[in-house]
Parts: sequence; C-alpha cells; structure tokens
Amino acid sequence: MSRRFEDVEFGEDLPEIPIETAMANVRRFTRAAGMSHARFDDHEAAREQGLPGAIVPGIMSQGALAALIHRWAPGCTIDRIDTVFRAPLLVDRPAHCRGVVTDLDETTRSVEVDLTVTNETGETRVLGTATVRL
Amino acid sequence: MDVAELRQKWMGFAFDTTEFEVRERDALDFARACGETDPRFVDPSHPDFQAPPTFPARFVARRVLPRDFPRLGPGTFDAGKSVVPKAPVRPGDVLVADSLIHDIYEKTGRSGPMVFLVHRMEFANRKGEPVSTVDWRMVIKLGSPG
Repeated sequence: MSRRFEDVEFGEDLPEIPIETAMANVRRFTRAAGMSHARFDDHEAAREQGLPGAIVPGIMSQGALAALIHRWAPGCTIDRIDTVFRAPLLVDRPAHCRGVVTDLDETTRSVEVDLTVTNETGETRVLGTATVRL
Repeated sequence: MDVAELRQKWMGFAFDTTEFEVRERDALDFARACGETDPRFVDPSHPDFQAPPTFPARFVARRVLPRDFPRLGPGTFDAGKSVVPKAPVRPGDVLVADSLIHDIYEKTGRSGPMVFLVHRMEFANRKGEPVSTVDWRMVIKLGSPG
C-alpha cells in the first residue's frame, strides 16, 4: 500500500532493512553492475590489496538505501539520493540500512530523509540524504 | 598544486560521450541484489517496469578524467555518488552520457589535505530527453605524484 504525504511525521524512522552482504549476492550485484574487481568478490585478493576482506561496492549500499525508501513508501519517487562512502562495508558481515524523516515540504509533497548504513558494531560506513516525493 | 587554478581551468570541461545499453537481466539483478521488492523494479511483466533509480550510477565513462588532467596524488578513492533521476530508465533503452568536470574543491581530513573532483555524467535517451544526472565524487589524497 502506498504511503500518503499526510501520514508522514517529522522524525519518523523508516523500518530498517538488512543489506544482503553474502558473497553470492555481492557477486550477483557486481555482475549486474559490470564491476569486475577482485576486491569486491574475493576475500583473499582483497586482503592482498591491503583490505580486511572483500568489500561491498558503494553503489550497492546506495541501491539498498533506495530499496529501504521504496519499502517504506511503495510507489514513491526518489527525486535525489546522495550518498557518502565513508568507510568500506565488508562482504559476509551484517549491515543494516536506516532512515529518518528530517523535513517535509507540503508544496512539493516531498520529504527529506537522512540515511545510514551501519555495520555489526554500529559504525556508520555509508551515509546520505534523499528527497522523496509521495 | 593550486586548486583555484585547477577550478579555473577545468570546471565545466566536457571530455567524454559514451553510449550504454540497459539490459533487462542487469536491471533485475541490480534491483534484487539491492533488496528491492517493488514490482516496478523486480517484475518484468509490471506495466511500469523500470530499472531502480540508482541504476545509472553503475555506468562508467570511457575516461575518468580529461586526457591532459594533471596527476595530483598517488591514490584516488570513491568518496560517494549522487543521483538525480529525471525519467524512468527501462530495459532496452540506450543511454547517451556526457561527462564533464562539475566541481573541484579541497578539504583537510585527519590524514591530511585532499582534493575532491566531481565527475558529472548527464544521461539522456536517444531522443535527447534527460533521464538522470550522476555525480561521482573522487577524493585524491595529496602527496608525491606516483
């Protein structure tokens, strides 16, 4: 069911969702995204490059944040999504997407959402903002 | 290295045009791997079936920087992406992307001075209608050019 602008409250939390960071899913993503880099889909090769393990592509985290928004407000339109890749997110380790409504614009019937992706220790690895029209 | 000089010389400089085909399998796998459940993005039989809004961020121009752009430091990192969708991107579309240097600025972080370069890609369909703008922020840690 779609979410109406009138039903959104300032400060509302979007229900968090996990990112599926299992290697098989990351490989599916990298194939779809044409990203043939060993640092994304091979733990050993990533370690040889000085990383703690294979890392989740930044644009996969960005896509997961868009999915978070779509699950919260089915049928909405994302007018802008801006993400900062602050630190790597590791493959095969838990990660979660979260969002909170920080502004509402009645004129455009759009909301601003602050976005984060955190790892299993609660560190913010990716953050961003989005403008979402309802 | 003078950032003001770089800005004056390179900001707005257009340096690449590349075509990209949007394949259904790629759009579907991109959506599913990211956790999309909206039928618009995961059901090809949906009347409004389309790629997820961040899908154009997967496309990379033939050149990351202009041919004569100076080498600034030993390492370049992906600092983030901004996507402004303007129209649905659908499987079967052929997109034309024009690349330009949108911004250059300097920041000092815990590890020292860094230069940010913003590579903007303006995507249009074959009719010339804009479909997406993607800004790719690259960060370069300043040091001895490698």
